[in-house]
Amino acid sequence: MKWNWKQLWNWIRGGGGEYKRILGELKDGVDDIRPSEVVTFSEPLRSTLNLAIRNGRMSLTEFSTQLEIEREEAREIAEVLITRRLFVVSSLSNEQETHYETRVSAMTRPMKRPPIDLLKKLDK
Amino acid sequence: MSKIVSVHSFRGGTGKSNTTANIASLLAQGGARVAVVDTDIQSPGIHILFNLNETEMVHSLNDYLWGKCEIKEAAHDVTGHLNTDVKGQIFLIPSSIKAGEIARILREGYDVGLLNDGFRDIVQQLDLDYLMIDTHPGLNEETLLSIAISDVLVIIMRPDQQDYQGTAVTVDVARKLDVPKLMMLVNKVPGSLDFDDVRERVEQTYNAHVAAVLPHSDEMMTLASSGIFSLQYPDHPIAQEYKKIVAEISS
Repeated sequence: MKWNWKQLWNWIRGGGGEYKRILGELKDGVDDIRPSEVVTFSEPLRSTLNLAIRNGRMSLTEFSTQLEIEREEAREIAEVLITRRLFVVSSLSNEQETHYETRVSAMTRPMKRPPIDLLKKLDK
Repeated sequence: MSKIVSVHSFRGGTGKSNTTANIASLLAQGGARVAVVDTDIQSPGIHILFNLNETEMVHSLNDYLWGKCEIKEAAHDVTGHLNTDVKGQIFLIPSSIKAGEIARILREGYDVGLLNDGFRDIVQQLDLDYLMIDTHPGLNEETLLSIAISDVLVIIMRPDQQDYQGTAVTVDVARKLDVPKLMMLVNKVPGSLDFDDVRERVEQTYNAHVAAVLPHSDEMMTLASSGIFSLQYPDHPIAQEYKKIVAEISS
């Protein structure tokens, strides 16, 4: 496998530094990933997710390349994105490659109760 | 390859809907298949510009978001409403103007992800060249989603202190969402200002490309949203500027 300088640096530092940081960042939340959350992510996670969201899909190979981490590390991060409902495994996946579809979700923030009774009247 | 174009401003009243309708109509006039989505659910209005009245709205974006219809069923062909020769086709997905339905959206909210799915579906189902999103002013999950999936973002501002600051926030967020093409439009500029100076200052302030500086126009005010300005006044300087924006978007 050909390593880039960043992967080599991570390996010298004891390995997996970048991967652990990204994983920790994603595990800080439990809800569906909202567009407003993507904006707050650090690089290279933010731009990688921006790309995946704009294209609507991303392969594991591309995901790993964009994040500059090992393939298996990328797979573990993708699993977290699946639990947080940003990634869905695509039916295009096969033994050689896993493909993910992206879907930014989340409800707009509904108010706990109608702001004023007038809204109830408007319904009628 | 279809393009998603969002038209946004931090504050209301900047001319988003007018700009969206004009750009969309010029694109359609040039032969493109275009759909316009009114995501300003809290204060919809672009249907007025396309002369789509309430009785003609069989379904709206609200119906799609509540699962009452497919997104395609909420798309109304308004090509004939333009009253001019149009080589392409233009569809409008309006938001409901019924008070009760707007109230329900405010009360219950909706899944932003459905907008995401709907945008992608309608592009395929109608074989669109352009999907134009008329957004709600300010920043919220819906507008961030629109920006996040857009190929082009047009940010509109007026030469006003309140707009200057808010626009800086919008530009910053757009950069964080890596929008491939960002263009600014300075609208409703008083004739007493030096337009080249306005353009230069805006470009320097935001380090962003200014696609057009449009003057305040009495003719546009007189038209009062009863039609598409650039189709009714094709030789007007504002129409010429809109055509330049269209050329940039399609390049």
